[in-house]
Amino acid sequence: MDNKSGQPGSGLDRRDFLKRGSLASLFAVVGGREAMAAEIRPSSRPRYSRLDGSETVACGLIGFGEWGREIATTLGRIPSVRLAGISDNFPVMLQRANRSVPDAATHADYRRLLDDRDIKAVFIATPTHQHRDIVIAALQAGKHVYCETPLAHTVEDARAIADAAKAANRQIFQVGLPYRSNPQHREVFQFIRSGALGKMTTSRAQWHRKQSWRRASATPERERELNWRLDPEVSLGLIGEVGIHQLDTADWIYQGLPTAVSGMGQIMQWNDGRKVPDTIQAVFEFPTGVHLTYNATLTNSFDGEYDMFYGSDGTIMMRDSKAWLFKEVDAPLLGWEVYARKDRFYRETGIALVADATKLAAQGVDFTADDPNVETPLFYALEEFVDNALRGPFPAGAGYKQGYDATVVAIRANEAILGNKRVTFDRKIFDAVS
Amino acid sequence: VPVRVAPDAFAVLARAARFHQETGGAFDITVGPLMRCWRFAGGTGEVPEPAALAEARERTGMHLVELDAERRTVRFRRPGVLVDPGAIGKGYALEQAALLLGELGVERALLHGGTSTVHGIGTPESGGQWKVAVEYPGERGETGPDQVLAVVALENRALSVSAVWGKWFAVGDTVYGHVLDPRTGWPAQGAVLAAVVSPSATETDALSTALLTLGIEGHGPVAGAHPAMPLLVLGRGEGGRFAAVARGMELRPSPRLVIVPVGTGREVAG
Repeated sequence: MDNKSGQPGSGLDRRDFLKRGSLASLFAVVGGREAMAAEIRPSSRPRYSRLDGSETVACGLIGFGEWGREIATTLGRIPSVRLAGISDNFPVMLQRANRSVPDAATHADYRRLLDDRDIKAVFIATPTHQHRDIVIAALQAGKHVYCETPLAHTVEDARAIADAAKAANRQIFQVGLPYRSNPQHREVFQFIRSGALGKMTTSRAQWHRKQSWRRASATPERERELNWRLDPEVSLGLIGEVGIHQLDTADWIYQGLPTAVSGMGQIMQWNDGRKVPDTIQAVFEFPTGVHLTYNATLTNSFDGEYDMFYGSDGTIMMRDSKAWLFKEVDAPLLGWEVYARKDRFYRETGIALVADATKLAAQGVDFTADDPNVETPLFYALEEFVDNALRGPFPAGAGYKQGYDATVVAIRANEAILGNKRVTFDRKIFDAVS
Repeated sequence: VPVRVAPDAFAVLARAARFHQETGGAFDITVGPLMRCWRFAGGTGEVPEPAALAEARERTGMHLVELDAERRTVRFRRPGVLVDPGAIGKGYALEQAALLLGELGVERALLHGGTSTVHGIGTPESGGQWKVAVEYPGERGETGPDQVLAVVALENRALSVSAVWGKWFAVGDTVYGHVLDPRTGWPAQGAVLAAVVSPSATETDALSTALLTLGIEGHGPVAGAHPAMPLLVLGRGEGGRFAAVARGMELRPSPRLVIVPVGTGREVAG
């Protein structure tokens, strides 16, 4: 089973490797972290209570590819999690699981993991097209389920997953849209909704990496399985495996789903016989008339990943769990920006948006410094899910409805990209799941 | 507040604590504040003010790091402690890479993590073992056959070389290298080069750093704790020559080299 290296916070450049590899946690959790700040910095606190480890929940992980391992590493840092079982259909991954999580039982068949009555919650990080059967079996086994996005590669499968999650109303079902749980995104969402950008006029997002997506393995069979993202039969390509997270941010901020999408895709660099484009463009039309232009490529890494929301009074840039406001000269004075940290971007000046800056200043904390305690969006999402499993049920940070909607948008956008055309959304498809 | 860390990260910290103990504190991953104080972190280095150095030393020391294996948590006993995994991280990364390649069926490979650590998996296709030359630390980075101090053959073994040829700066006649002696807070004056061979690249990375700090005079306890481990420590001898202790590594004869017997640690312990 394979990775999803297009996930938020995921990446292959050196800085990200240091932040996130197995040693990553060493850097992120211990290295460079000044213990003092941890207790008083509220900006890294999510809205739910922080778990202290006095209660634990036994968890299972299905899929131990690159992304599954990232989930395992992150779970390893959440005190209330006991990772009790790991399953993967590739034996080498089970060996690796035995080594990195020695206390977890390993299973070649995920159904044996689901048979373990101790396990209350499962995380599903298999290739997208395998989600449906596993989610439904996990819900039937009475587990709380965290399923990666896109939920599925077809609307039919996504619908089946959403219906099953809705029916299992005493179980928690959270989808892998971790920005929905990220305190920084929540802050920016509130800031934008407060009207600080004036009239919202347009938006632009990009994801740029230089990597082929092609993976090598010991045997041709394994290699085929491993490269499911390059298989047009089951892969939603860049828009599905990567773009879905940024599209969902736009859905969230605009408080609505797109009405149409136009797309194009090309193979510009990795012309190795693949059919899945390595470079895509898509324009999403929202009901208020505002558009999102989205660019993703595997050919160039310049400027990485970011989201820009433009309005008549200013622009918000979201990048690396940080955000800046760029004001128009005729925008009204907000007041606090006089004291805020300013960062230069060529000739523009960005005002850093720091959560709880006023409170921090009152506590004598230098809020202009980067918060050393910021976790990855994935961390916040997993912690929220586990907190919910222990003390809930509360509404999920991102539930089946958001997961279904985002998946449908991605599927249609992929159709537009592959067909070089404009596709309109049929409201009825979204309304089929409520 | 104790912070829970991932199993891999905890394992590295626990090993770092063991190396710290074994080396009498010559290996210490808490040198972060000292590195900053000497401006080796991101700079080329400068001699710090005494007050700043004293303050940094108070924030340095493995005794400030509390490891709870059962809960897998880490706690700093005072604010301002910084962990700098620089002297163990590369070795650990290579060790993991070698392990993963082995699992996937790779039988022969040479992994090189930059100038300091190299790991040989299996043997080269052409036969023999992976041969790696250790050079004298050159003043201006010169290289060539004359510079060869020893040739090490590797088969499922890692070699780490620590030397003061990385970052350094000079004030008057004194050269300050980027390896700080955690016990004194000053750049290590022990040796000019140290090399270690072991199946574990994590171990070679950590112990070569420690031996550079300990020098020829202080290498005994490490040699004694690992009686089978090939090692080499090169220091400054008399008359502009080098002095070296070596075990399990054949040194190339040279008029500028004086061989010193290997210690066992007893001379220090006794």
